[in-house]
Amino acid sequence: MKPTPSSPDTRGTTLVNHWQSGVPVTTGPVLTPLLALLMALAAIGLILAGVRVVSPLAPFSSMNSVYAWGIWKTFNVMTLTALGSGPLALGMAAWVFNRQKLHVVMRTALVSGFLFYATGLIALGFDVGRPWNFYSAAMPWRWNTSSAMLEISICMPLYCAVFLSFEILPLFLERLYYTGNEKARAFLRHVSPLIRKIYPFAIIGAYVIPLMHQSSLGGLLLLAGDKIHPLWQSPVMPWLYLVAAALCGFAFTIFLLLIVCLRYARRLDGDVLAELANLLSGMCFLFLAIQAIDLIWRGQIHAAFAFDKMSLLFLLETSLILTPAVALRFRRVRQTPRALLNMSALACLGGMLYRFIPTSIAYAPMRSTSYFPSVPELVMAVGYISLGIVAFVFAINYFAVLPGEASTWDHAFRPFGWKHPTATQATAIEREA
Amino acid sequence: MNILTMPLTRRQAFRAMFGLGGTVASAILPMKAIASTEEHPAHPVAPPDAVGMLYDSTICTGCKACMPACNEANGLPADTLLSGGIWDMPTGLNAQTKNIIELYQDPESDEFAFVKKQCMHCLDPACVTGCPFGSLKKVDFGAVTWNSSLCIGCRYCEVACPFEVPQFEWKALNPKIVKCEFCYDQRLKENLEPACTAACPTGAVIFGKRDALLDQAKGRIAAAPDKYYENRVYGEHEAGGTQVLYLSSVSFQKIGLPKLGNTSLGHYATKVTSVIYKWLGGPMLMAGVLGFAIRRNWNRHELERLKHEKETGFPDQL
Repeated sequence: MKPTPSSPDTRGTTLVNHWQSGVPVTTGPVLTPLLALLMALAAIGLILAGVRVVSPLAPFSSMNSVYAWGIWKTFNVMTLTALGSGPLALGMAAWVFNRQKLHVVMRTALVSGFLFYATGLIALGFDVGRPWNFYSAAMPWRWNTSSAMLEISICMPLYCAVFLSFEILPLFLERLYYTGNEKARAFLRHVSPLIRKIYPFAIIGAYVIPLMHQSSLGGLLLLAGDKIHPLWQSPVMPWLYLVAAALCGFAFTIFLLLIVCLRYARRLDGDVLAELANLLSGMCFLFLAIQAIDLIWRGQIHAAFAFDKMSLLFLLETSLILTPAVALRFRRVRQTPRALLNMSALACLGGMLYRFIPTSIAYAPMRSTSYFPSVPELVMAVGYISLGIVAFVFAINYFAVLPGEASTWDHAFRPFGWKHPTATQATAIEREA
Repeated sequence: MNILTMPLTRRQAFRAMFGLGGTVASAILPMKAIASTEEHPAHPVAPPDAVGMLYDSTICTGCKACMPACNEANGLPADTLLSGGIWDMPTGLNAQTKNIIELYQDPESDEFAFVKKQCMHCLDPACVTGCPFGSLKKVDFGAVTWNSSLCIGCRYCEVACPFEVPQFEWKALNPKIVKCEFCYDQRLKENLEPACTAACPTGAVIFGKRDALLDQAKGRIAAAPDKYYENRVYGEHEAGGTQVLYLSSVSFQKIGLPKLGNTSLGHYATKVTSVIYKWLGGPMLMAGVLGFAIRRNWNRHELERLKHEKETGFPDQL
């Protein structure tokens, strides 16, 4: 097969390449000083998490009964799982709305999403006060079905442990195929048709369940009632939380793809990124439309332009979402990597702000107590994020995650011990199944 | 090609109709069923056995006899942090204090009032609505109680409670939720009134059936018009109604009772989701619709994959 022809990049801004499949990173050392630093941070975070097991929550964190939820819940879970909604947003676009170009970047979204969810769940595990009672989750007769918290506490681990894990399973099987012995390959030839059988049914759950729990995260805050500023406290919060998740999912996938392509000097595929940018812009407009209609409906639009602290915060959040929404309507912006990176970063920030503010800054209970995360809380939160980044770097180095050209795919597996040089041979073996 | 423009065979069309029809029915049919007995009505009605407390801030002398009585009945240690180990001196409801008398004093005028804080025992409690595994529960007499063996320590009750009553034991390795339980296990079950009302020497806080107390409170307002703030009982309608009722001569907000709407928070939070999630109708409908679209796209994707693999020689990735 001939590699995809790529024309020379004249301005340094045009995207030309065509991504065809996931290809591991093969250049450069895996362990860089930055990664070592992140590993150290992750280790410190996890050690502190261990300390947390034997120490009560209060002197350790600065949470109190008025601000009962600290940054582990409000940032690591409620904000960062929005960034981890790439598998939901891209998966729905690819499989339900048939945007076929997006299949090639699904793995990037899946791995980052899995890591956001996994680190968020670790954070939750060390945040709850009585984790030993969690076995009730397996006893439906104990469920309080009107609780949004029930939905989240069951669906989030289920989604991460079953559906996301199933979706990233091909990465591991593929690596096993290329590094394992003949016996392993025979086994994989046996199971791979089975996975293709299950896959379309599994992804139904992989989209329905996050649709449920991402909206329930907004539903959680409904019960807080007047404690949350009226600019954010609204009956449409579950919908806005869901749209913000999709928005952040698209935006973070673009951001991540551009960052790793920059870091590992990979070629970019303009069509795929432009498609993502298009969807991101649509999501931003959908979010703003729902929010505007809701504010007018509730008669709170004046609060948005009161120019007090909350109003300014709201306007900042809205402009962070509005800027990429408008900018990405222009084809020239969608095809300029630098602009795409900036705009996706802004959209990420805007979406994260929307998910973070109602749980913390706009959350103002009556009793005069303040909350600012303590040092162990911050270190643990940073540690979880570092853990995710470290795991992502290892994943892209040892598994076929990042999109690349199909012509580079076969030789990319040679560091894993794959002896046969031609791709046709690999296909022939798989075809026998 | 878009899913909407793909031609359907007759069999596929029937299949889709049955699938959609079934999921729509499963979502719509239960809606009629719940219309009659709503789990979280906007304005809940007190159960017939609902007991209550009536606290009249104009009678309370601030003697705080209710506080040690509460501590004794509930086996709570005295909070001696501020007093240097001598007196019970809590600064608010906390992990050692289920009941407290607070003083409101206007810094300019000489207006002052006492207020007794404890769980309000709402008719539709937000904490019970939010509690994932039913650890907090509204039991006989309408008392809201906490069950240690079901609580996972998520602290959603603290976020949900508009009165900021539930207190988490932050300093314990086996943390509990500390809140007034109307002395349910200790006294209410044995036909005794709660420790605080039993101890009150002035009758500022009295115990009785909620209906009777509401009538009595309205009688007091009628007997002395303009004595009480807004000539109304706090707790009659607040957040759907509470079983602890307040009378005060100064503003309820000044003595620390929040300004709340008359709709129960549980109704506000679950009026849409209770329909969507009834018998999982909404998720099933969603799964049906998504499954239909995914199946069509998947089949076409498989055909393209085989063609692509034959042409290029590269196996396709999932």
